[in-house]
Amino acid sequence: MSAATEAYQQAPSAAREAGGALVALLVATLIGYGWYLGFHLENVHNGLIGGSFTAVGLYIVRMRPRHREGWLFVATGVLHGVMFFGRQYGLHEPALPAAAWLGWVGVWPLPLAIALAGWTLMAFPDGRLPSLRWRVAVVAMMAVAAVLAVVSALWPVEYDRIGLATPHPLQLPGAEAAERFWGFARFSYLLFQVLWTVAVVGRMRRARGDEVRQLRWLVYAVVMAIVLLVAGLLVFGSPVPGALAVPLIPVAAGIAILKFRLYDIDPVINKTLVVGAMLLLITTGYVVIVVGVGALVPADERVLTLVTTAVVAVAFEPLRRRAQLLADRLVYGRRTTPYEALSQLSAHLEDAPQELLDGIAATVANAVGATEVVVWVGGAERLVPQAWWPAPVDEEEGPASLAGLGGSRRHVRPVVHRGSVRGAITLRKPADESLTASEDRLLADLVAQAGLVMVQQHQAREMQAAARRIVTAEDAARRRIERDLHDGAQQRLVTLGLELGVLAEQAKASGDMVMAARVGQTRSQLLEATAELRELARGLHPMVLAQSGLEPALGTLVDRSAIPVRLHVAVARRLPGEVEATAYYLVSEALTNSARHSGASVVVVNVVSVDGELRVEVADDGRGGARPGEGSGLQGLADRLAALGAELRVDSPSGGGTRISAVVPCG
Amino acid sequence: MRVIVADDAVLFREGMVRILTEVAFEVVGQARDGAGLVELVRRDPPDVVITDLRMPPGFGDEGIEAAAEIRSFAPQVGLMLLSQYVEVHHALRLMEEFDGAVGYLLKDRVSDLGAFAVDVRRVATGEVVIDPELVSGLVARHRRRDPLAELTDREREVLALMAQGLTNAALSQELVLSPKTIEGHVRSVFTKLGLEQSERDHRRVLAVLQFLRRQ
Repeated sequence: MSAATEAYQQAPSAAREAGGALVALLVATLIGYGWYLGFHLENVHNGLIGGSFTAVGLYIVRMRPRHREGWLFVATGVLHGVMFFGRQYGLHEPALPAAAWLGWVGVWPLPLAIALAGWTLMAFPDGRLPSLRWRVAVVAMMAVAAVLAVVSALWPVEYDRIGLATPHPLQLPGAEAAERFWGFARFSYLLFQVLWTVAVVGRMRRARGDEVRQLRWLVYAVVMAIVLLVAGLLVFGSPVPGALAVPLIPVAAGIAILKFRLYDIDPVINKTLVVGAMLLLITTGYVVIVVGVGALVPADERVLTLVTTAVVAVAFEPLRRRAQLLADRLVYGRRTTPYEALSQLSAHLEDAPQELLDGIAATVANAVGATEVVVWVGGAERLVPQAWWPAPVDEEEGPASLAGLGGSRRHVRPVVHRGSVRGAITLRKPADESLTASEDRLLADLVAQAGLVMVQQHQAREMQAAARRIVTAEDAARRRIERDLHDGAQQRLVTLGLELGVLAEQAKASGDMVMAARVGQTRSQLLEATAELRELARGLHPMVLAQSGLEPALGTLVDRSAIPVRLHVAVARRLPGEVEATAYYLVSEALTNSARHSGASVVVVNVVSVDGELRVEVADDGRGGARPGEGSGLQGLADRLAALGAELRVDSPSGGGTRISAVVPCG
Repeated sequence: MRVIVADDAVLFREGMVRILTEVAFEVVGQARDGAGLVELVRRDPPDVVITDLRMPPGFGDEGIEAAAEIRSFAPQVGLMLLSQYVEVHHALRLMEEFDGAVGYLLKDRVSDLGAFAVDVRRVATGEVVIDPELVSGLVARHRRRDPLAELTDREREVLALMAQGLTNAALSQELVLSPKTIEGHVRSVFTKLGLEQSERDHRRVLAVLQFLRRQ
């Protein structure tokens, strides 16, 4: 590649320019004069091959002097040009001067021309043969072709087929033996064809990256030429369409060699397949209806034509869609089309945040055929890898800045929203494969979509964090109020009670029983008030929760429950304060509701922490029918749980008990 | 009887000192937190310590911690814990870790001078005192549950008082029944509930509390 690039940058030398012009002039003269001599259908293809291969070959050589394929093209073209001229000259009636020898020149190089064309195709696109085995095969092919050419040059073994105006110039003995030999040897032509076909197909299968695209151009042209040849023979009974299609091959090959980075042939192939399939279907449909139905049912041909038109009109779009799908499958293979990629992405939008990012990675990988995709989230200074395709085998990469993401053949696409970097998508393609223009466009679309997703996720995270902060702040406030009550009002009331007690004793001691009784009543009322305040303060935020954790705190709820409670707690460690408080309030609220409304005989409370989440479940055997949001306090709990990324589930069929549960993520 | 009082609320503490003095206790020291209390007791152990359960610095269960430390070096000192709330798990801990001579009451109880003085003296003489509110809550919940339903009203009354730490003698006095009758009721309660009769009073309280708490 580097040699070719280097050569590409070199200015063509004057000598090479002159040589190229000379060859062009020679071939143009041969072919031009050949056309002038007359039209012979069976020789047309030689002229077309000679002209097109020489022209394309010279152009390649001029652009890339060291490109071997260019030289092979020139050789193939010149040889065919010479043969074309020789045959045109030899076929001319009446015979022209020296027609025997010039016609001879148009015949015997044929094996060499075929073998050379084969070599040219086998060496496509870089002019090199991929392995030693292929080099041996090409040498053998050329050797066989040389032997055939010598035999053909010495004896008129090909003359019957070509039918020149003049006989073979050499009248050597052994013509019969040569004919017999030729009877076997001419199968070599077939072998040559098979050989280069196998070579191209094999190369296509092994090829990676750009070479695949180059080979696709060639294969497309060859297949089109064959299709046109077959169609021409079948429909018009003429090889002319096929012959006219021959220049397609060198032109396509030349485009592939020189311009492969600009044009991706996939859409062309795709559309050709669709159009071809539709033409075939319409023709077949027309024939079936007009000929087939017409034979069975006696009807006016105009009516049948109308019917056919209607059928075609109705069936066209569904069939076209099918054909398009099939063509997509054939051309793009596993790679998704842009439409599919975008719809795949939309399908992931409903997923949980992590799955969504994983989905983006997988979609990008499928869409552009990447071997590795990483989705990064964060700002330009610090991006953290969040999703991988495929899953990382060894150690995951650490955070990096946007500038530090590139390198080692990695494509980096920053995700920008309103001018600030929100993340990035990096990908690697198979070795030596670059991003095509269409893949690049698709990637840009996917990145834009991913950007929206990341922004939305960022906002969701912010909101979640804010909600969590509110919950935490509320807990702190409750704790503070409880503490203030405990140390302030409650303490003062208890002291007052104590003083009243002293007063009562003193009144009793002084014999003032009325006073003693009144003070005693006041004291009782005060005690009731402190009891109420005590319950209020305890409901706010139990000290035992902060002090000793969830299990003892839940124990206090159970101890005070009016209904028997079976409590099962399996929480190995202390959890974040807001999580513990939420679990506590949930159990507290559920127990209160059960005691108040359910008529249950027993409540089962399960609180278990498993795999970074706390599962809380309160189930009673009461009458059920509880509805959240009906002033039950469950709505507040639901909001609190939502702030922690959890969901309150209330399962309360009428007559089937009530089951309140939540799964709270707790890191 | 010599008493040391610990509470971080100055007004309440001083009020208590005053009434204790009035009912013939000798208050030999005052502390505002657990560490101060331990220090005072270490210097001059009293007959009984009356301490708030929740005190600086953590406002958690510093009172129990201080009590446990005192029990370790001065086992003869009676320990009375006062709190704004009474919690079963605290009561159970006091029963399990302390070998009698321990009390656990709502602060409100202090306003009934006579009863409070009796409770403090009981603790000082090695008995166990548990706040009736805590026990009544537990018993109330069990009312519709077997096997408590099998108890007679009198037996249930005995059970509730027993859970508060009353000895057979105190029960007999409280219910105005002969010690023989009380013994019969107590034995019947233990048999019906499937509990093991214990010689030590605090063990008996612990067993009853655990039974009442168990579901």
